[in-house]
Amino acid sequence: MDFDFPEDIVNARKKAQEFAKKEISSEMAKKYDRDEKFPEELRKKAFEYGIVDYTNPWSMLVTIEELCRADPGLGISATVSLFGAEVIMLFGSDAQKQKYLTKVQNGEKIMGLAVTEPGGGSDVAGIKTKAVEKDGNYVVNGAKMFITNGTIADFFVMLIRTEEVEGKRHHGLSAFIVDSDLPGFSKNKLSGKLGVRATNTAELILDNVPVPKENLIGEPGKGFYYIMTFFNISRAYVAAQAIGIAQGALDKVLEHLNRLTKEGNKALAEEVQFLAADIATRIEASRLITYKAASYLFQFRPNPTLTSMAKAYASETATFAAEKALEITGYSGIMGDLERFFRDSKIMEIWEGTSEIEKLIISRNLLKEYAEVA
Amino acid sequence: MEEQDLLRSAVREFALKSIQDRALKIEHEGIDRGLLQSLASQGFLGARIHEKYGGSGIDLHGYLTIINELATFSPSVAALVMLVNSVQAPLLGDAEPESLKKLASGEATVATSLSDVLEGSWTATTLQKSGTGFKGVVEMSSLHNGEFAMALNREDGHLYLFKNGIKALEEDSGLSFRGLSNGSLEISSGDFTVLSQNGEEALKSIVDSLDLEVAAIALGTAKGALDKAIEYVKVRKTFERPLKDYGPVANGLSRLMAEYLSLSSFLDTVDENDSRAKLTLKILSVDFAKRATKASLQYHGGYGYIEDTGVEKFYRDAMGLSILFQRPHHDSMRLSKEIFGEKSGYL
Repeated sequence: MDFDFPEDIVNARKKAQEFAKKEISSEMAKKYDRDEKFPEELRKKAFEYGIVDYTNPWSMLVTIEELCRADPGLGISATVSLFGAEVIMLFGSDAQKQKYLTKVQNGEKIMGLAVTEPGGGSDVAGIKTKAVEKDGNYVVNGAKMFITNGTIADFFVMLIRTEEVEGKRHHGLSAFIVDSDLPGFSKNKLSGKLGVRATNTAELILDNVPVPKENLIGEPGKGFYYIMTFFNISRAYVAAQAIGIAQGALDKVLEHLNRLTKEGNKALAEEVQFLAADIATRIEASRLITYKAASYLFQFRPNPTLTSMAKAYASETATFAAEKALEITGYSGIMGDLERFFRDSKIMEIWEGTSEIEKLIISRNLLKEYAEVA
Repeated sequence: MEEQDLLRSAVREFALKSIQDRALKIEHEGIDRGLLQSLASQGFLGARIHEKYGGSGIDLHGYLTIINELATFSPSVAALVMLVNSVQAPLLGDAEPESLKKLASGEATVATSLSDVLEGSWTATTLQKSGTGFKGVVEMSSLHNGEFAMALNREDGHLYLFKNGIKALEEDSGLSFRGLSNGSLEISSGDFTVLSQNGEEALKSIVDSLDLEVAAIALGTAKGALDKAIEYVKVRKTFERPLKDYGPVANGLSRLMAEYLSLSSFLDTVDENDSRAKLTLKILSVDFAKRATKASLQYHGGYGYIEDTGVEKFYRDAMGLSILFQRPHHDSMRLSKEIFGEKSGYL
């Protein structure tokens, strides 16, 4: 067992740190947060710098960590333009990969994943958006909600109901590639988010949208399985976002502690030391679970229990770290970057499966294992 | 208690009519003059200000009921009433009767910055003598677009009230209490009054005296979020059942409500001369508000993350309350002193 990363991953982390130092500043983060604007230039620069490459998942994991450590909203925006690509990579046809993936992998195009529906949330099997075959197309009607890259993506991997199966809601769902410029496709940007305001989020409306038959991914009716497989992957990346946020908060706590120590404020410094130790311990634990989950995942042996543990624990670590860091730093924290980290961190416990959903997955899997042993 | 219940009903009726539908607008644009004057005409704005200055002269528990109930709709509005009655009015005192009258009637607001005495504040107001007056910038002031401004001068240590030459700089919506129109301001004024010779101590003493007010706002903030969560989980379905039917949701919210009722009962009966009880209530209430608002946001899922739902502001304000209107480390030291009966926890 070796806990050290190989040299190429260590270098990927260094390169991401260099990029963050050079391209992400407090002023910039504050501006994009205030304006709720997607940082397209930064996204392009990240590709040009060579740090966005999902064909090397370990590098991406540490890159996401380091960019979110600098700023969550900008870090996520710079690395999320391939969101949903794994569904096409794993289950798409060669023609789909050639047509759609090549241009998102080089940064030319942006994609998104459209699963959640208004009022739907974590209940993926309750999808109501429907597709009906007509004249060589699937005609799609419905709506999707809280869709990352919603108004800027060129196309989406979308989960759509193609058949009603009595008593088995997760059956009859299919995955499609839906181009965002098709007739009947409209988008409404969601503004006024609590945090990660640089990221682009939208509601999608589909009104008789004709999706070509060749855009069906894999087999009809297998969409739920494909999306669940994807979540197993994406949750590891969300855990990396959360670790980055927690680490960024800890960086600021240490800066504050250093200042207090220099000023000779011993009583306060000792309280801060205890909290800094607590935050750092949780970050380390989050990293160990996440890297273990990723190790299984990247060897094509996913362990959903571990992935859910990583996502839930790292997310709770991010909110814990941001809250405590803000409390410790007080006025300077609220006037600086930490108030943004506090707002940004909360989404970690919500998107890609709420903490409650992750805990249900963990418990169900544990019970299955228990039943097998018993 | 009956009087308090009647007062609570009156505040609630007012808030339903005058705040509920504009709560989001208040977050975006601040508290407008119309609302300020409505608060004044109801006797809420100058609740604790003496009647001779146009206030209502309400007793402490009545005042706490007002800010507690207002906070369930808009913590910003509650904080404004607290600033007027518990920060500005005591500092203006009898030295500025005309200003106090304008304050109680909603005719004028006073830009007020507590930033000089808050924990973690490394910067100070930069006022300098200029001729017979002062020039400088006050960082992060509430009501920064006010007609008057209160500011500490580090050079002579005095706390001043400036009555002209105040220019609001760019607004910074910041983390919390966005309805208070927070931002920096520039002062270039020769029309001023010294409110305190020892301004820093006066401000610290004011912040430390806000135990019950902060507790009342914290509990109102928590209640505002919990009310929304309880209504939401009744109608929101997941896996084809209302969220309230799931044990962790129903039990989690019920426990938080039980905690709220217990702390509210403590607030309703707390002895205003019992410093330990007041401090304990504040510490527990602020901690509770942070947990309750966080859980309420979580029960809303993605919708909780969007301002339109109206729950995220409670989450932000609960955190802001613990930083902008209290000195947590100093409070811990105060509590330790109460418990041990002597100075403790200073090493």
